Amino acid sequence: MPSRHSFPAALSICKLQYNSSFSLSIEQLHSQFLQPFSIYTASVSNPGTDMPAFSARRHSPSSDPTSETRVAVTPRKSRLRSDPDAAIASPLRKSPRLCKEGSPNSSPKIEVIRKCLKSSLNLSGSPEKKQLSEDFVERQTWDPREETQLRAVNEALHLSTAPPNVVCRENEKNQILDFCSKCVKEEKAGSLYVCGCPGTGKTLSMEKVKVMLVDWANKEGVQPPDVLSINCTTLANMSEIFSKVSSEIVFSTFTWHEDDVSVILVVADELDYLITKDRSVLHDLFMLTTMPFSRCILLGVANAIDLADMFIPKLQSLNCKPMVITFCAYSKDQIINILQERLKALPYTVFQPQALELCARKVAAASGDMRKALAVCRSAIEMLIGESMLSSVDGTEDQQKPAANNMTSNQVRIHHVAAALSKVYKSPVVDTIISLPQHQQIILCSAVKLFREGKKGTTLGELNKYYVDVCKSTMIPPVGILELSSMCRVLDDQGILKLGQSREDKLRRVTLNVDGADIVFALQGVRFFRNCLK
Amino acid sequence: MAETQQMKKFKTPSKGTPKAKHPISIDHHIAPQTPQSATPSAINLRRSHRLTAAFPEHRPAISSFNTHQSAAKTRKIFENPPLVLPTEISITPASPPPVESRKKRKFHEKSAEKSKDSRNVKYKHAADRKVKKKVYYKKVVYDGGEFSAGHDVYVKRRSDASSDDEDPEVEECRVCFKPAGRRVLIECDDCLNGFHLKCLKPPLKAVPDGDWVCCYCVARKNGEVMEFPEPQAGKKRARTAREKLLSSDLWAARIESLWKEVDGTYWFRARWYIIPEETAVGRQPHNLRRELYRTNDFADVEMESIIRHCFVMSPREFANAADGGDDVFLCEYEYEVQWHSFKRIAEIDNNENDGERVVDNDADWNSCDEFDSGSDFDSEEEAAYEDKKRNRLSQLSSLRPVAANSRKGQIFGLQKIGAKKIPENLRSRKQTDLEKAKSTLLLATLPKSLPCRDREMIEITTFIKGAICDEQCLGRCLYVHGVPGTGKTMSVLAVMRNLKSEVDAGSIRPYCFVEINGLKLASPENIYSVIYEGLTGHRVGWKKALNLLNARFSDENKCRKDTRPCILLIDELDLLVTRNQAVLYNILDWPTRPNSKLIVIGIANTMDLPEKLLPRISSRMGIQRLCFGPYNFQQLQEIISSRLKGIDAFEKVAIEFASRKVAAVSGDARRALEICRRAAEFLQNRKVMAGMADVEAAIKEMFQAPHIQLAMAVSSFCANNGETFPGYDTLLKVGCKLGECRLLLCESGTRHKLQKLQLNYPNDDVTFALKDSKELPWLAKYI
Repeated sequence: MPSRHSFPAALSICKLQYNSSFSLSIEQLHSQFLQPFSIYTASVSNPGTDMPAFSARRHSPSSDPTSETRVAVTPRKSRLRSDPDAAIASPLRKSPRLCKEGSPNSSPKIEVIRKCLKSSLNLSGSPEKKQLSEDFVERQTWDPREETQLRAVNEALHLSTAPPNVVCRENEKNQILDFCSKCVKEEKAGSLYVCGCPGTGKTLSMEKVKVMLVDWANKEGVQPPDVLSINCTTLANMSEIFSKVSSEIVFSTFTWHEDDVSVILVVADELDYLITKDRSVLHDLFMLTTMPFSRCILLGVANAIDLADMFIPKLQSLNCKPMVITFCAYSKDQIINILQERLKALPYTVFQPQALELCARKVAAASGDMRKALAVCRSAIEMLIGESMLSSVDGTEDQQKPAANNMTSNQVRIHHVAAALSKVYKSPVVDTIISLPQHQQIILCSAVKLFREGKKGTTLGELNKYYVDVCKSTMIPPVGILELSSMCRVLDDQGILKLGQSREDKLRRVTLNVDGADIVFALQGVRFFRNCLK
Repeated sequence: MAETQQMKKFKTPSKGTPKAKHPISIDHHIAPQTPQSATPSAINLRRSHRLTAAFPEHRPAISSFNTHQSAAKTRKIFENPPLVLPTEISITPASPPPVESRKKRKFHEKSAEKSKDSRNVKYKHAADRKVKKKVYYKKVVYDGGEFSAGHDVYVKRRSDASSDDEDPEVEECRVCFKPAGRRVLIECDDCLNGFHLKCLKPPLKAVPDGDWVCCYCVARKNGEVMEFPEPQAGKKRARTAREKLLSSDLWAARIESLWKEVDGTYWFRARWYIIPEETAVGRQPHNLRRELYRTNDFADVEMESIIRHCFVMSPREFANAADGGDDVFLCEYEYEVQWHSFKRIAEIDNNENDGERVVDNDADWNSCDEFDSGSDFDSEEEAAYEDKKRNRLSQLSSLRPVAANSRKGQIFGLQKIGAKKIPENLRSRKQTDLEKAKSTLLLATLPKSLPCRDREMIEITTFIKGAICDEQCLGRCLYVHGVPGTGKTMSVLAVMRNLKSEVDAGSIRPYCFVEINGLKLASPENIYSVIYEGLTGHRVGWKKALNLLNARFSDENKCRKDTRPCILLIDELDLLVTRNQAVLYNILDWPTRPNSKLIVIGIANTMDLPEKLLPRISSRMGIQRLCFGPYNFQQLQEIISSRLKGIDAFEKVAIEFASRKVAAVSGDARRALEICRRAAEFLQNRKVMAGMADVEAAIKEMFQAPHIQLAMAVSSFCANNGETFPGYDTLLKVGCKLGECRLLLCESGTRHKLQKLQLNYPNDDVTFALKDSKELPWLAKYI
């Protein structure tokens, strides 16, 4: 009887391709995984008399679309970011390696630069500096004013260029790969949850794992799994994920041979976007891996550590507790390592080692976010370029610069990185307060005075009273309460004050969002405020 | 040639019979004047089914409807007056006669009897006697057709004049190659070919409702081959103008203005239409067969190259014109030739056009008639007067040669909608300095220069240029923040304008630019469809747009047609923050994809927006920030005086006072401009410069809380509260009034005398307001 049963299921899955509705798709997925694949496919293999529509579907030319779409699905694998072949094959991208090896227009220029450099060194004629230059000749010098070189450096440090091999995440990568390969080999389902802070290489590692898994399967002679990657933010509706999964299943069951049904690897990035009020979507997704004949490997990626914990009590009872792998924030050494790996591809030294270290230390201490580190490096390069532009404008004839200085001036030094870091991590509060209009400063001043008495918050009406007092003490005409509240809103926008919600404007709660000491520090330059805050 | 066309298309049963038109006394140098010069919109046009045979039998004109020869015949019938005939014969329809004879425009000679008919034949006076200057016309009768600004016409392609020889013919049946004749032609909605109902297999009895597709198209869709029948050997299938236009052998244009050159030739300014194939993206599946795009490309074209009218309609009109003629087209979008972007033509625009057309039809005609009949005693003098008037108009408009072109660069935001300008020359008197000052101080006026934001603009320019000048164009993201009124949006748009002029000059590669204001979106998700529409011109739902955009920005191997970098400007970025922030995540994730070529510039007021967002989003946002601080008073002063440059309306002290006042409170440039404008309004009639007192008054009005002003006003209302007690009724009334102004907070009125009252504002404010009241000097001692 199961064969009879499977026909409507198969048909409705076919329908699913065209009009996928949520309720149907979950049901179908369940029924799909509840039945052994062999029976299901056996029913497909001998088209009986009672399923003409289905057999017609298989043999008519209209099965072409499925194979076409199949083709459209499979390139996803070759389209992966980190695929080195794709990078070389695409004509638009110029990988840094290509620049190094066979870019005809860059090498003569480098040659010229080297010559210029040598001549200038000879002019200066200092022996130990010459020694220094010999060290650097192997690693050619980098001229930030050179277009192509700058472009190569920028590309090497850009977020969208994935390095050819992911360093510092070997452990995690191998863990995931082992898990997946075990599942594929044993043809059983499993779920894995990857968590970690933003910018710690989760998505990048997953892409790598997908490629490696296919490679491994080919080497082992195992049927390679179908890979379906979904970024959950791009789903218009949470439950759309099921229709995607089901369409993948339909493709695989119709296009592969009946006896070896491949395992499906579902990679769901930003998994926490699937959290709905009753958490049913996420729960159903994990439930897919618990069905008796399911061959679905679910890899979920998200930031929150406790996402899996929310389901553990429920899932544990079903014996499908997902394995959790945590990506820790990068440490200082790891960041240096990664940056050097990216810069290794370039034939010239761009950063002073100390500069890199400063960047790595600062970023590691703050967040360990690799994206931030790369952004800091790029903005440091921009600063260097700005500086060199300035110097070339100021003194092109300024040739009596020491040559060694010229040597290092083409590299990003510590102060560039420090300036770039300060752009990111420096709190702009003090500068903002100094540049505020006077009345807003008076408001802040009166707020500080008010909160000195030990209060934590106040209402707008009370703040107005204090403000009027302060104004009267110096004969400044105060502004009205409406104006005051609009000024407070501006301060709220700038993140200096915090305004609560209230129906009445006067009753809105006001708290300071920055440290009072910052305000005192910023306002101490003006005598009026100094007196006022005494 | 053109006459025949006119005859065919513009024949209407509603007009008087052709013979009735003939009593018109025609001057001997009248060129071939066809009797029917009906205005186009009054014509009973057809589109989907051609009910050519539906006309009653007794009209001789109808038989001339379709074939060339018969058209010529009817012309002879119509043009009875013997003195016209010789010239008429000399002109063969196929070869254009010498310019002089055809293009004469005549006075309209008046006689009381023919006032009714005068609307049918209208001649414009040509001011070619005294002044040799460009003369502008509202309406020109040329080649028997009547053209005025706002009409749409077919235009010959100059390059291949040969294709014009065989004049666009009457449409033939695609099967039997005979013209429609008496029988009905039905049009296929796919290939636009016409078919006799009888020629179809199986033949149709009546014209079906709704869309109809011919059997050839059906066959083609099913993958079968079904050739159209070939015409007989030696006979070429005549192509209609519509067919030629859609295969870009002809052009269509909209007449913007008409004038006569010094050498007597007639010209018009054409605004081109293009067919979907000519856009950068090519024909899209959603394009209708008869769809055209209006461009912002203009050209001056000689009138000789006009073939005849066509009718380009808005979708609504198009839907109503179910049985219009063959020359009906649909235009929904405007196409920016520089940016290759599409913009839906605003509804306002359409309404305006409609209005114009209606005016052309009736009101204008009537007024012309009245005008003429009122002055028919001396046409010569009248002519001189008109002449002078036109000359002045033309002088004024020729003073601003750029003006007709001024819409070209205006692609940013609101200016687009307000494209229709009130022409300067309508104003009779010269603007005074004060009026000029007021108009330049308006917030809507675009200043010539943006002072005080040089540093920021350089930074934005380097940011964008650094991205788009690269070959590979790495995606990046910039967050611009600052308090309101500090010129954030204006600076970015100014930078974009500069860049656009560089693109025009060819120094940087073209790019597409999409500008979105978060406030204008119905919901944050709608941004996807807005972006997609800006990039490709399709309008799709947001879910589909999201998928398409994802594919566009992430696929690196798929060779996409459009490889230009894309700049996305999102104003009021903070409004896109949804509960799970997925919209912002997607938009900021695209630039980090390989080969996305997307540059995102976000503008918002909040300084710490990135910190308020989820860490994964702020991590993708990058570290590029740009802060626009509030202006200090020197900057505000510079801004105001740079706007008022050359206008002597404000004292310097007054400007400084206003800018100091604003800088002390908010540093908002908008407010400073508003104060100055208000001050200028205060000294409306006095002939002095605006001084301190006016600015002071304006500031008082703006900064003083409204309740103080109200209390002052109400105090005079309370003046009758003298020493005598007015009684409870009055008191209650006063209380209610005060309650309505929200000066007092009252309980609901049902409790009558027991209502509780409460002062809504601080006592100090009330005291301050009532202290100086002159009517109640005794009031002060109570307070």
